[in-house]
Amino acid sequence: MSVVSNGLPTAQEIVGPTPGQRLRRRLFGHRGIVVGGSILGVIILMAVLAPLIAPHDPYEQILSARIKPPVWYERGTWEHILGTDQVGRDYLSRLIYGSQISLMIGFFAAALSGLIGTAMGVAAGYFGGRVDLVVTFLITCRLSLPVILVSLAVVAVIGGSLEVVILVLGLLLWDRYAVVMRAATLQVRSLDFVAAAQTVGCSTWHILVSEILPNVMNQLIVVATLEFAHAVLLEAALSFLGLGVQPPLPSWGLMIAEGRNYILFDPWLIAIPGVALFTLLLAVNLLGDGVRDVTAPENRG
Amino acid sequence: MDSIRNWRRGWMGLALLAAVSAAGASTLAPTSAFASKANDTLNIAWEREQPTLDYYFQNSREGIIINRHVWDCLLWLDPKSGEFKGLLAKSYKIVDDRTFEFEIREGVKFHDGTTLTADDVVGTIQFLTKPDTGKMQNQPVAWIDRAEKTGPNSVRIYAKDTTPLALLYLSADIPIYPMAYYDKVGPEGMGVKPIGTGPYKVTEVEPGKRIVFEKNADYFKGSPKGQPKIGKIVQRTIPDVNTQIVELASGNLDWIFKVPADQAEKLETLPNITVKPASTMRIGYLTFDAAGRSGENPFQKLEVRQAVAHAIDRQAIADNIVRGGSTVVHSACYPEQFGCTQDVAKYDYDPKKAKELLAKAGYPDGFKTDIYAYRDRNYLEPMIGYLSAIGIRTDLHFGKYAATRDAIRSSKVPFAFMTWGSGSVPDVDAITTVFFGGGPDDTSMDADVQKWLAEGASTMDEQVRKTAYAKALSKIADQAYWLPLFTYPTNYAMTKDLDWTPTADEIPRFFTASWQ
Repeated sequence: MSVVSNGLPTAQEIVGPTPGQRLRRRLFGHRGIVVGGSILGVIILMAVLAPLIAPHDPYEQILSARIKPPVWYERGTWEHILGTDQVGRDYLSRLIYGSQISLMIGFFAAALSGLIGTAMGVAAGYFGGRVDLVVTFLITCRLSLPVILVSLAVVAVIGGSLEVVILVLGLLLWDRYAVVMRAATLQVRSLDFVAAAQTVGCSTWHILVSEILPNVMNQLIVVATLEFAHAVLLEAALSFLGLGVQPPLPSWGLMIAEGRNYILFDPWLIAIPGVALFTLLLAVNLLGDGVRDVTAPENRG
Repeated sequence: MDSIRNWRRGWMGLALLAAVSAAGASTLAPTSAFASKANDTLNIAWEREQPTLDYYFQNSREGIIINRHVWDCLLWLDPKSGEFKGLLAKSYKIVDDRTFEFEIREGVKFHDGTTLTADDVVGTIQFLTKPDTGKMQNQPVAWIDRAEKTGPNSVRIYAKDTTPLALLYLSADIPIYPMAYYDKVGPEGMGVKPIGTGPYKVTEVEPGKRIVFEKNADYFKGSPKGQPKIGKIVQRTIPDVNTQIVELASGNLDWIFKVPADQAEKLETLPNITVKPASTMRIGYLTFDAAGRSGENPFQKLEVRQAVAHAIDRQAIADNIVRGGSTVVHSACYPEQFGCTQDVAKYDYDPKKAKELLAKAGYPDGFKTDIYAYRDRNYLEPMIGYLSAIGIRTDLHFGKYAATRDAIRSSKVPFAFMTWGSGSVPDVDAITTVFFGGGPDDTSMDADVQKWLAEGASTMDEQVRKTAYAKALSKIADQAYWLPLFTYPTNYAMTKDLDWTPTADEIPRFFTASWQ
């Protein structure tokens, strides 16, 4: 910035940081977002670059080289940094490829349920009346179904696979979206700018998409991160029970299930994917908390 | 707040993980919490739920074990000398090829105090020859025509045809029931409150969970089984191997079996545990629905079955995972059984050839199939890996044994990983005939094979039998109706206090056990 000759600050300097700058400063000043975001970033990078960074083929089994411990154990080698599993597959490579599956399930399940839940919630909140009655009824029905039990039953009947798990979770996890979106929309719809839009004759669709949705977006993001974590955890549980992702796909939940028999004498087989799962969920939750803090500072609780 | 709850859940998970790892690292410091020896109680565990204790209405290994303890058969095969001795029969006589005469021992008492009579023997046999009772034990009794009381203490059993294995089945698979009781309570009553003449009586049953056996103090003197020494045996069903190991190490259990080689190796290093390896008559196999009973499926094509056979490195699994001297099996029987030739078509590990065969069968990109299994997931996982390498993607249905075998019998299963221990009968009639002889377990329904197997089972001439079985076995191998996998040596792990020696037939006999 140049300083003019009279020594007084320019108008720009008085105005201070732009909204963009302020947002950036808030984002990077929030420890949860920085830590969660960078861990999640690393995991996403890992998933995207899996074919490049995985040292071995995650499916190649060498039975003569099974249950090799990770490098920090006495018999560990740098050849297999995290050791090998019970059929001699490189554990690090499986962990890297496994991140693809966890992220995929988390993302698609959260997106699908988000679509359903948001549509229902916003409709209920905006239109009220009978629509609200129906949606509330549906939410109550959904809440009375135990998620794990229903997904177990569905998967047991139609058979487990990646697509089935994503679909089942996506179709089950929309309740929180619907509840939160309904409440948020109820608040926003009575505000003046919505009334203004209605008076100038905007279409309902336009009001919903351009006036309501942007103003409930922050809640949507927070719920999405929660549901992302929820879906990843449920996939792990289903795979652990043998009803989720099918072997030999390297899902973290499945890796935990397969390592279960070795928990007493080779606990790292179960600890490594367990820690990976924990880290991913921690990162997503930190990020979600942070996003809420930053986008709605007055709600900080 | 939800997120806070999630946070807390996460930290608790980590703490739990750390605790578990620590428990693993300290390698289970042994503490003798329950001094079983002092209580004269042998605590054993197995992983399966026993659906019923009525021997004739189940077909699991655990049922065989219960049978040997609770009931007696007419004869007894001495595991050491291999000779048949009288058990409930004082003596026996082979009148001709199809007629056997038994003199029933006098003064033998059932657990409820009634005395064994010739009528119980005849009644048991009559029950077994009745059709449509829904019994699961078929092969060992299918040969019997009828039984007849020929004197106050003598019984004749007539076979339908010449039956080389008649004495063997009479010594192992045909326990004698108290018929007055059985007529009254039926299989349901016998299943929860069994009564027999054996060295142990059942005093408590929690179905699928726990069985308590107590020494039968009135067990008849002079039984070749010997007199029971340990006062009480408590069986518990513990489905998870790790839990069994922890309980063994902490002294809550005294005996477990089927310990995987990986864990057995580590268990051996514990101070108060002995691990005893032994061979068994069990083999693993992959069975295909070649006859298309479950509907149209890829395994109806010979090339697909052969491709599977070439795709799996059985040697590597036997050497690295099963271990303990496990060998690859090529024909549909246990190599030491009578009539079991290994001189049949052999499929070596050749994934390239497997892919070519799949392409020839019209599946250049492989296909997706259901696979059923009930045990040894650690053997199955590498097989699934090998299959996916040639493009066969599997949808695994891992269930209980009874359910899995029912599903196969009711034609719902295209492809399964199963095992069979032949009821410890050292003859191919107890395995090949069961699965290829046209019975409910026959998934290939090959008329030639059925004919040869029937031929082999209906003569005493060993040479004729061998030739007939060889023909059947080589057609089974040529057609790859089964992919026989490997033998199943097993590991028994027990407290050092227990004096018990395993036999090669996978039947623990606790009436021969005592405390050190």
